[in-house]
This record gives sequence, C-alpha cells and structure tokens, in this order.
Amino acid sequence: MAAATLVAAGESKDQTSWTVSAERVYTATGKVIEEGRVTVEDGKIRSVSKGGGGDLTCHAITPGLIDLSVRIERDLSSIEQSREITPEKRVADALDWFDEAWKREARSGVTSVMINPLERQVVGGLSVVVKTAGESAQQRTVKADSALYGAIGSAPSQSNHAAFGRPDDFYSRRPTTRMGVEWEWRKAFFDAALAREDKNLAGPGTLELQKALAGDLPLCIQAWTTQDIRTAVFLKEELAREGLGKLRLVVDAAAEAWKEPELLVRSATAAILPPFSAIGRSGDGSFFALDTAKVLAERGVTIALSGHGARAASERLCYQPGHAMRGGLAFDAALAAVTINPARIAGIDKRVGSLEAGKDADLVLWSGPPFEATSAVIGVLVDGRLILDPRTQNK
Amino acid sequence: MLSFLLAAAALAPANAPTAHGADTFTLKAAHLRLYGNKVVDGGVVKVEQGKVTYAGDAKGAGELGPDVIVHEGWASAGLVAARTWSGLGGEGLEPKRAFTAEARAADVVKLGHADFARARAEGITTMVVALSPANVASGITTVVKTDGATTLARDGHLQLGLSSQALRTNRFPTSYTAAIELIEAELAKPTGVWERVRGGKLPVYLDALSRDEIQRAVALASEHRLTGALLRAPLAGELAGDIKKAGLAVVVGPFGPGEEARVLASVAALGRERVPVAFGLESPASPEALLRVSAAMCMRAGLDPVQAWEGLTTTAAAVAGVGARVGKLAAGCDADIVLWNGDPLQLASKVEGVFIGGVQHESKGGAGHGGAH
Amino acid sequence: MKMLHTTTRAAAIALSACLLASAAAADGKLAIKAGRVLPGPGMPELEKATIVIENGRIAAIGKDVKVPWDAVVIDAPSLVAIPGYVEAHSARGMDRPNENLDVAPFLSVRDSIDPVGFYFEDSLRWGVTTINIQQGNNCVVAGQGVIVRPIGLTVDEMIVRTPSGVKLSASPKMGFSAATQAQALRRAFGDLRRALEQLVAEKKEGSDRARREALYQGRDLEGENAKGKAMEGAAWKVTGLELVPRGEIDEKLVPLLALVEGKLPAFFYCGRPMDVHTALDIAKENGFLAKTTLVIAPAAYKAAGAIAAAKVAVILDGAAVYVETDPLTGEEREVFVPGELKQAGVRFALASANPTTESLWFQAAQCVGRGMPRAEAVAAVTTIPAEILGLGKQLGTLEVGKFGTVVLCSGDPLSVTSWVERVVVEGRDVYDRSKDVRVKHLIGGQAPANTQAMGASLLGDPRKVVCCEGEDPEEHAKHEAEERAKKDKGEAEDDK
Repeated sequence: MAAATLVAAGESKDQTSWTVSAERVYTATGKVIEEGRVTVEDGKIRSVSKGGGGDLTCHAITPGLIDLSVRIERDLSSIEQSREITPEKRVADALDWFDEAWKREARSGVTSVMINPLERQVVGGLSVVVKTAGESAQQRTVKADSALYGAIGSAPSQSNHAAFGRPDDFYSRRPTTRMGVEWEWRKAFFDAALAREDKNLAGPGTLELQKALAGDLPLCIQAWTTQDIRTAVFLKEELAREGLGKLRLVVDAAAEAWKEPELLVRSATAAILPPFSAIGRSGDGSFFALDTAKVLAERGVTIALSGHGARAASERLCYQPGHAMRGGLAFDAALAAVTINPARIAGIDKRVGSLEAGKDADLVLWSGPPFEATSAVIGVLVDGRLILDPRTQNK
Repeated sequence: MLSFLLAAAALAPANAPTAHGADTFTLKAAHLRLYGNKVVDGGVVKVEQGKVTYAGDAKGAGELGPDVIVHEGWASAGLVAARTWSGLGGEGLEPKRAFTAEARAADVVKLGHADFARARAEGITTMVVALSPANVASGITTVVKTDGATTLARDGHLQLGLSSQALRTNRFPTSYTAAIELIEAELAKPTGVWERVRGGKLPVYLDALSRDEIQRAVALASEHRLTGALLRAPLAGELAGDIKKAGLAVVVGPFGPGEEARVLASVAALGRERVPVAFGLESPASPEALLRVSAAMCMRAGLDPVQAWEGLTTTAAAVAGVGARVGKLAAGCDADIVLWNGDPLQLASKVEGVFIGGVQHESKGGAGHGGAH
Repeated sequence: MKMLHTTTRAAAIALSACLLASAAAADGKLAIKAGRVLPGPGMPELEKATIVIENGRIAAIGKDVKVPWDAVVIDAPSLVAIPGYVEAHSARGMDRPNENLDVAPFLSVRDSIDPVGFYFEDSLRWGVTTINIQQGNNCVVAGQGVIVRPIGLTVDEMIVRTPSGVKLSASPKMGFSAATQAQALRRAFGDLRRALEQLVAEKKEGSDRARREALYQGRDLEGENAKGKAMEGAAWKVTGLELVPRGEIDEKLVPLLALVEGKLPAFFYCGRPMDVHTALDIAKENGFLAKTTLVIAPAAYKAAGAIAAAKVAVILDGAAVYVETDPLTGEEREVFVPGELKQAGVRFALASANPTTESLWFQAAQCVGRGMPRAEAVAAVTTIPAEILGLGKQLGTLEVGKFGTVVLCSGDPLSVTSWVERVVVEGRDVYDRSKDVRVKHLIGGQAPANTQAMGASLLGDPRKVVCCEGEDPEEHAKHEAEERAKKDKGEAEDDK
C-alpha cells in the first residue's frame, strides 16, 4: 500500500485530456450513472455518460470538493489590523502560493477553495476563490472578490483593549466586546449608506460596503454561537427594514445554527458549517450538534461543509460528509454540501460544483463509496491535470 | 633598457611614496585578474592621479614610469559589497515608522568608521550602505568607498522592505496588502524620491524573504517598470524566469559554511538563467570575510566561477550604479586595486595591500606594505 | 477544563446505574438473534443467526441454535452482531495520566481510574468493550495497568485482569534528553539488581533488617511470601535470592522483579525511531523482550525493521496516516503507517485517536480505505489486541467458549452511518442506544433553556424576542397576550 503520491514530473504532468470511468459516477446534478465515464478534454468536461474503460478507473467519481472555509493563509501579515473595518483589502494580495497546504488539500480531493481574511478583523476584506493546483496565480483564480468577509463573536475584539496606561499602539480601541463588534458593523453599513448621498462621507472600503448593501457582493460573516448568528441575521433584517439595502448573507462556521434554524430560513441565509467535533464542543464556546446539517437541509437552508485546512488526514473535508450522514443527512444532500452548494454560494457554479459538460474538469476518484471511512481519495484532477494518480495506488 | 629600469625599480623600497604624488605608479603583478575570466600573468596596471590608464599584459604597457611596484602574488580590482550596514553605528532602523522613503543612509554613515577599515582588510573597496529592511520604506542607500573619505553616489537606491520582517502587528501597515498599496499610491502620484524611482532614474532594492514575497516584489517591479535588485531572496532561483523577465538583479548572501543547500543551489540557478547576481553583507552583524565565503559557497553549489567573480566586482558595481568607475581594472576606472597572496577566488588567499584611488591604505593583515595615507 | 454540564453528568450516572441493575443477568442466559453475525476477521458471515450466552461465555452460535426457554432474548433482526473492539492501550479515563516520579512501578492505574467519566461510556457507545488502561507516556517506568470492561460504578466491577503489565517509556519524559532517559531506564534495573544483591548479602550475614522493615510496613510474610525462590531472570540473575523470603523484598521493587522474571508484560512507549532501539535494548538486557509490546507513535514506523527482527508486537498509538514535513525541502509526505508495518512483517494493533468519531471502528475503516484487506484491518482492532493482552482465548471473535461480549450495529460496523445500538458485555445487557441520553445530546444538541421567555422578560420589547416562524412581531405579542390570558383563566378555573 504505497502512500498517496503526487504525480511526478513526466508524461502525465501536462496532460489535460483523460477518460475516467467508474462503477458509479455521482454528478451532483441529482443523477448517478452506474458504469459511467467522464471524458475530459483540454481541462474541461466534454461528456458524462455510460461507458467503461479509459485511462483511469476507480469505484466512484464525484466532482472536485469545494471548501469555502479552508483556512489556508492564517498569517497575521494577511490582514491590515491598524483598522478594524477594512472592506477594501484583498486577501488575494497576501496569498502564499507556495504553501504546502495547497498540495495537502488537493491530494485529499479539495479542488476549489475560498480564502477568507482572518476573523480577527470585524470586516477583514474581500475573499477569493482559487483552485488548489495549477500553473499560475492568474490561472488558478476562479473568482476574485467573491465575498465581503467579517466576523461576529469574541474573535474580533480579542486583541483590543480599553485605553489604559499609555496606549502606544492602535489596539487601544473599540471593539472590546460583542456589543462593540456589532456597533462597528452597523456603523460601517450606516455610514456606507449615508455616503450614497454625501460623497464626502466615503472612505476606503465604502464602495465594497455599498456593493454588499446592493446585494451585488455576498456578505460572509463568521458566527459560531446562536447569539452571534442571531446578531448577523438581525443586522440583515435591520438594514432591510431601514431601507438601506438587502444583504446576501452567508454565515461561516454556523455551528449552533441547529438551535434557531428559523433565523436562517426566514432570512434566506446560507450556512457554511465547520468541521464536526468528536464531542460536540466547537469554536467560540459553541456546541455543534451532529444533526445540524440534517436539520438545516430539511428546512431548506443551503448548507456547505468545510474542513478548516486540517493537517491530520482524518479531519479533512472528505470525512465531513460522513459525520453529517451519521447525524442523519442523506447522501445526496451530503454530496451537494461539498460540491454544488458551495459552488452556488460562492457564485462559481457555472464553472465547478458538478460533473456536467462544459464545466472545469475537477474530479475526485474514490476507492469505494464516497465519504465512507472505508474509502479513500485515490485520484484527483484539477482543470484536467492529474494531481493524484490512482494508478500508483496498490488497489 | 627595459630590464635595467625594472631592476632599478626593484631596488627601490616597494612602499616609498613617489615623487610625482602618491597616486601615480605602475603595478606589476605575477597574476592580474582583469575582469570575468581574464587573468593575465605578469600583468601591468598603470595608475595616474588615482585613475587606471592601462591594465593588461606587460607587452602593451609601454613605458612603466619611475615608480613601479612589483607584487609576487595576485592583483585585482577591489571588491564591491552590494549591500552592507557598515558605518551606520547601529542607527539604521527607525522602529516607530514603517514608511520613511526620504531618509538617507548618507546622512547617517560615518565614513571613517572602523567597519570600513575591517572591510578594507578583506579586500572590499566599495560598499553600498543600506538601512534596515525591517521597514516598508526605510530610505535611500548610499555608495561609498572604504577609504574613509569618498562617497561615490550620495543616493544609491530606494530600499523597500517587502518581507514579513517589515510588517509588525503594532504599527501600520500590518499587512502585505497595505504595504503594497502605500508604495503604489506613491508611484501613482510620485513626488520627491518617487519621481526618480518611477522614471527609472533611481533604482530600487526590494527586500524579500519567502517565495511569495519575492513573487510580489517582482510583480511590483514589472508593473511599474522599476529597475534595481532583489535583496536576500533565498530560493529566488525557483522564480529565476520571472526575475529575468522583470530585468532585476539579485543581491544574495551573506552565506556561511552552514548555509542550506537549497539556498545555494538557488543562486546557481539564477546564474544559469543569466540573472545578474551580486554578493552582499549584513556587516557589522556578519564578518566582512563572508563576502568571499558567500561566493565560494555558491561556486561549490554550481555557480559559474566567472559569475561568482563578477558578483564580487563588476555585477555588484553595476547593481550599485557605479559600474563605470569601480569593479574592474580598465582604463578610465578608479585605481581601486587589491594585492593578494593568491587568487582572490580561493578562500585561503588573503589581502596584502589595498589601493583606493591609487593611494595605498592601511589594510591590517597584509604583509609588509606599511602604506602612507 | 470545562465544567461538566450538570444534566449530562447526571445522565452519565443514570446510565451507569442502569448497567448495575442489569448485572443480575450475568449468571443467567442471554440470547441474541441478529440479522447478520460477523464472528471475526476472515471467518464466514452468518445470516439470521443466534448467539446464546451462558454465565458470561458464548455457549452456542449459529443459524439453527435453539434459544433456551429461560434465556433473556434480544431480538435484533435488523442489526449486525460483531465481537466488541479491544483497546490494547489507553491512557484515558484516569485522574491524571502520569505521576511526577520517574520510576514508580508500584503505582497502579487502579487507583486513578474514574469509572463515571465520559471516557468509558464513550468507549461503550462506540463498541469498545475491553480496554487496557495504562499510564501515560511521560515517564521512565510509570506503573502497572489494568484491563477493564467499561461498565460499572466502581473500579473493582470494571476489572477484567490486574495487573495487565508495566508501562515504560523509551521516549524522553519532559525535561529529559534521550541519553538521560536511557540512563534512567538502565538505572532502574541496576538499582533493582543492587537492592536484591544487598538483600542476599544481608541474609548471608544473618541480618534481619529486611524482615523487620517488612513487618514495620505491615507486609504479609505468611504462606508463599514466607518462602524464598531462586530468581528466574532470563538475562541476569541474582544468585542466592532463594535465601530471601519473597515477602521481604521491598514492594516498590516487586513489579520490576516480576518484569525481569518474565511474569509481567511490558508496554514500552517509543515516540521516535531511535527510541525503539533503546526499548529493545533495555528489554533484552533485562530479559523481558518476549513479553514486551511496543507502543509506538507513528513517527517510529521507520524502525519497523528493527521491530520485526526483534519479533515484538506493536500498538500504533496515533493517526494511521502520518503527515511528515521534509526538513530540507519543506514538502509534506503522507505515510500510511499500518501499511509500512505490514510490509516489514510487524504484528500490530490499532488504537483510538479519540473515544468517539475516531474510535477503533474508524481506525479499522481507514486501513481498509488505504488498501488493507478488511480481515486484517478488523483483526488489528479485535483479535490482535486480544492476543497482545493475553486474552486471545476469551476475546476478539464470537466463538463458543469465548466471552459473551457482543456489539450490535445498525449496519456495516465500519460504515459512517452505522450506530452501535446494543452492547452485551460478558452476557450482561449493558447498552441500549434508544435509552442513551448523552448520545441524543451529541446528535441533537440541547435546546437552550427557555430562550423565548427569557428574552421577553430581560429585554421587555417583544420585537426583540426571536419570533415564531413567519410571525409578525406585533402578531406575536398579541398571540402571547392571548395565551397568557388563557393561562390565567385556566388557573382561575383550577382554583375553583
């Protein structure tokens, strides 16, 4: 049993056309093809149909997995902490394209990821969606400015302190509590709305906030506990009520969404769930019930699962749907939660998220039924390039 | 006739000042490193009023003149350190403000500092004195000679720190994004030093450590058509193609004996891609001897010896913007000459005499030539 | 350490109390009728079979087995019966995993096990029915372990066998270097030898210091303890030890002597490849290699050759997939450690990474995913750990004569969607998921206590209350007022 090996430089390295067949092809469109085949040409899916043989075979094929909260780029130099509200800053400018984490994610089946600014900022800036493998930064960027990202909870206030002694840096500032965090959010949006009338009130970041108010830029807020999710939803509802704008809200790490799911339902908010926890206890003091995905999916909330860039092999995104299914989520919904759902949330579903002709050739090849602990990711294609070669696995 | 003159000259004490002025003489060396690969055995260098008028073989030298210095070992142009903190007396860092583009190393450097005397003892005659890279824009470098008196160029380069060391969490900017924004804002509406940078009149030094930082620096240079060099940039060899396209040089080092193989191999890769490589120091934090050690370590990892020598002399001088004056022994250049007891590319060789502007200077560790100043 | 939620701790105690109640069934008969029975790795599967357990042991197993008239029957046509998983080494479930003392073979985990802690009920919940509790790895010689079943309110109820073995570590404990650790190990045995030699010398001189000390300490000097026995060490012996009554040997040294005489197993922790050599050397030098099992961290797979040559078995204490970073190139490499061990010919058991989602079922499943045949993967969590613990005849498979310890799963035991529904430990019906309060909390969470009422009273403004689905805030306020009025009316009527 060889360890999973990345494709070495050689004849396979630049090949972008393949025929991949499997006993089952899970397209994530609702259709499952038995004894199916996916034809890849020049990095795009040419056809998905019945048929066998081909260059690569496996037990099952799914679309490449998509992680909207992959947490690569956790370095503090990626966020501008001199201000708490920096909507204009792009985390894309700070990406380390040489990070080993890209390869780690790619070989475990994650093909597209959204990189978000750290939750230390109230509003950290603009997220970016990129492929986990590819030739250059430009080629790998799927969608620049995919969302405006920020946080509600205890994280944004942690490094600040009330002014005491001799304040010799800019951390003597608001917010130091959750109420301060909420104040910053509301002020940012109110000021941005006012700046529509009075251009003198505009500053750096006003444009991005206005785009979010107009619903042109999705707003992604990290909120683990139910009180923070409530704050996020109330923010959206208040702005709507005041006629300032209609946010397209997504909550990241919505661990306690199971407590008050009606909040997400009535506000049409999508949820990105964090990695499932062994004992339920999760981030920011939240409790993450195992059936959260099922409860939300039943209520019609669009959910996406995430892996938070786990280094340990058993905690990666490919194992999260298994936990969700243990909690009662149906297989089709679990598959959607790591493929077409995150694609729709990030607005990249024209390119990725399902196996359909014309979409990017991002495929995951499995040794058994996808997401089972008894299955492993044995092959990965990103834009038609073979990142993990199933032929080197002794299976 | 010639031999009589030579014999007469040989009888004269080798270190006596001449009648015409201390900066006019002829040097005869057993081996003369001219430039690149070119070594002339029994070579001659003619110096007149501090400038080289001839450097080459004995045949083309013609009249040697009354003052002839005969050196049994090697002679070469003085070494050029493309970056150093020498002479700043520890005042190279402004910890409170990250952006002080108009600060000048020339205002701080003490030309008579002991750092320069030590540099001379290692055969270094020209140095680019830079401020600390721990600021996004720490200021402008200056190019000086190690004679304690000469400034070659008051303004050398604008140094920009694009590594994580330039970013602190308690001072603006804390992010790469904001640092680049600051620089681009200045380049968009350039005033002062930025006007010269924008026009390419003043080169830049871009300090970067990790590969993504190097990538960002190269992108910045390409987009705004900046000239100059990357500083430090270990593993730059992996991005050699992009660096070449951007027309940047790289100032590497200092490297010690324990340097990572990857880093040294990267320098060799830069050489193969014909990216100009120059060697630098962080003196006085690192001993000046490391300049030649750096070159030797890179040669061991596969860097072409010609490129290694150029990295110590002509390329470094070009990066410093003073390539017309120093870095090689050729007519018209300053008479910055170092006498060695062996090939300067061999680490075992040591300095036996240093001339700067044709005037011999104290170079401790040399044998015999006391030297007037 | 987060405070345990009062209701969940109460639930834990309640669960344990239920188990106690069913202890009475142990002497009786229990029959399990399962839809599928997987008796053990490589053994043929049985469809619609019955397992009859009498006096804690399997009396019969098969398709046409007759159920005794006086047996309690668990009828589970939709469930799959498997032997309970065996955890060959765990440092959980205790007050603290290690003492500060370097060499403390006289300590026993029996004194620090917390039966009511979550660890044991989690183990049961995920199908682990036998656990060897040993001290942690931060030690030189840590003490003795105990093999327990994860049921019961007191340690004594839990014990299957005590002591299970001595825990040692070749990996430096905190503050030690590799050299210091190796030296400390050697000194422990050197001190034993010197102490025994001194005892013999004293006896020859006619001194009765040891006897007086034993009496003073209240040690038992009757029966077997009054006799002396020649030392049985395989590697070294102290001649003349038969002159010393066994009861007079300092009880602090007795476990180490038992180790050297080959009477006690050793569980030797190795965190790095270099530690393996230290462990094997110490075991060889002191004659207990044949009874040594190495507990290895994944990094130590690189010493698989040495382990195979020494013919010792191994417990893999850590992730099956080991992620290591090349210090020169910075590249990450993933190594499937059980595969490496198998290739080198090393016999290995797996260990849980956490007591729940990555318990033994998951470790076996991961191995299957990485290409290991299912029988081998299952063996690594059943028969092999059972053999390592010297319980190969009692555990690991469902066969006549073995313990009646059966786990009933809702589906394929290695599937992510299967739950452990029932557990029988030695004929006792000890777990029923439909009655498990804590697993309900894990799955469905606990509803927040009274948020709606609390919100209304604290904030005053009904608009701030989380509304019922789809209701307008003003409608909601009206609705609530109506409800209150109704309630008051109802109470008034009751008073009449």
